[in-house]
Amino acid sequence: MTELLQNLSNALAATVESAGPSVVRVEGRRRGPASGVIWSADGLIVTTHHVLEGDDIKVGLPDGNKVKATLVGRDPTTDLALLRAETTGLTPAAWGDTDAERVGHMVLALGRPGESVRATLGIISALGKSWQTPSGGRVDRYLQTDVVMYPGFSGGPLVDSESHVLGINTSALLRGISLTIPTLTVRQVVETLLTHGRVRRGHLGVAAQPARLQGDLPKQIGQETGLLLISVEQGSPADKGGLLMGDTIVVLDGQPVRHLDDLLALLSGDKIGASVPVRIVRGGRVEELKVTIGERT
Amino acid sequence: MGELLQQLNSEIASVVEEAGRSLVQVRSVRRGHGSGILCHPEGLIITNAHVIGNAAVEVTLADGRELSAKVLAEDSDLDLAALYVEANDLPAAKFGESRNLRPGHLVLALGHPWGVSGATTAGVIIGLGSGGQSDSRSKKEWLEVNLPLRPGNSGGPLIDVYGHVVGINTMVTGPNIGIAVPIHVVKAFLHQKLGAKEPVLV
Repeated sequence: MTELLQNLSNALAATVESAGPSVVRVEGRRRGPASGVIWSADGLIVTTHHVLEGDDIKVGLPDGNKVKATLVGRDPTTDLALLRAETTGLTPAAWGDTDAERVGHMVLALGRPGESVRATLGIISALGKSWQTPSGGRVDRYLQTDVVMYPGFSGGPLVDSESHVLGINTSALLRGISLTIPTLTVRQVVETLLTHGRVRRGHLGVAAQPARLQGDLPKQIGQETGLLLISVEQGSPADKGGLLMGDTIVVLDGQPVRHLDDLLALLSGDKIGASVPVRIVRGGRVEELKVTIGERT
Repeated sequence: MGELLQQLNSEIASVVEEAGRSLVQVRSVRRGHGSGILCHPEGLIITNAHVIGNAAVEVTLADGRELSAKVLAEDSDLDLAALYVEANDLPAAKFGESRNLRPGHLVLALGHPWGVSGATTAGVIIGLGSGGQSDSRSKKEWLEVNLPLRPGNSGGPLIDVYGHVVGINTMVTGPNIGIAVPIHVVKAFLHQKLGAKEPVLV
């Protein structure tokens, strides 16, 4: 007999059935529909930023109805977006955290690219600490799985063995890798989008590239590289602070700036409006200026 | 925990072993190699229509016997074919209930991918029926499975956790995505094409 196998198979299907009523179809791009997860009974839907192209957004509900939706806000840096569908009485997802998850645990990715909910099975491949996306978004935990991100699964939930939603799946943040934005970050982004309509990001108004520091500067400053400014936007916070093309930023607000990631991490929303010291190398000499960080629009 | 996994492994292996007895290799002069499944002790085999083409078909049974097969019926739209080989007391597979399948159910695909005999892969049902992105497949019914199917898997059985055939593996639509014809479609095909001569299907 294959009792355990049968039980496992039925438990997996039951998990899909249990989480499925909170998974919706999101029609917001030409290439085909994607998925979303119900945040609140009154129509808030979480999905991924990259599946929304224009203002014409429709949501396919689990009961088969299709309703209009408006964009509450989006955060390209974490690839998350929040929609408000014109409906009520939805079934919000049972959100869970990743605290008890371990590498090797079975997980299901759900999606609703068509009328019915669909599922793929995989395991948690990697669990890490907080990380920064290539576009500067802060994510509370690195969560990678081996589930196949079938077309239209982006924006859908990763579901654990207790039918809890661990986060939102996206295949667009890191190409070719099935990543999940965990519930904690989803919650933070949703709350920010509800309050501000966007996730605020700091802005300097420069284009920069990493550059090796010359002579005895590495020893003097304590780092090998800085960020060479290849342009400074006129009237930008950097311009107003006296930064010039050709300067190399080495420290901002007391934190070392060696790569673009360092700078992106320092330009978080809470720094907007703050006047912070910036240490630069100009003409081979270290100088210190002050910039007031602006807001990226 | 280790015990559970061991039991799971041995259960999967027993399902594969049981179903593997009914697995056949189908060779056609023009189309190359495919798979098929014995579904009656008197020599009825189901495979894909695209595996057999119009040429002579030969079948190798799991016990190694090589037999020439006669094409009883074919439907290129459903991509199904029924073959007959002259032999008795063959280990026929049991048919399962494809209508009971739900997304998340575990399934196994048996076949001869790249000519490797009896190769098995495991996965889950992604979805079934029609709708969404698969609308292009019109009103045809299908099972979408999260399995890596390869050339040579065509015509082979999709097995459920009871060891019953729930589909005929037919094509690959993406990395690790396969499409199978549900067994209730196969039953209807047999009924329609073979009519009264339809063997008693267990």
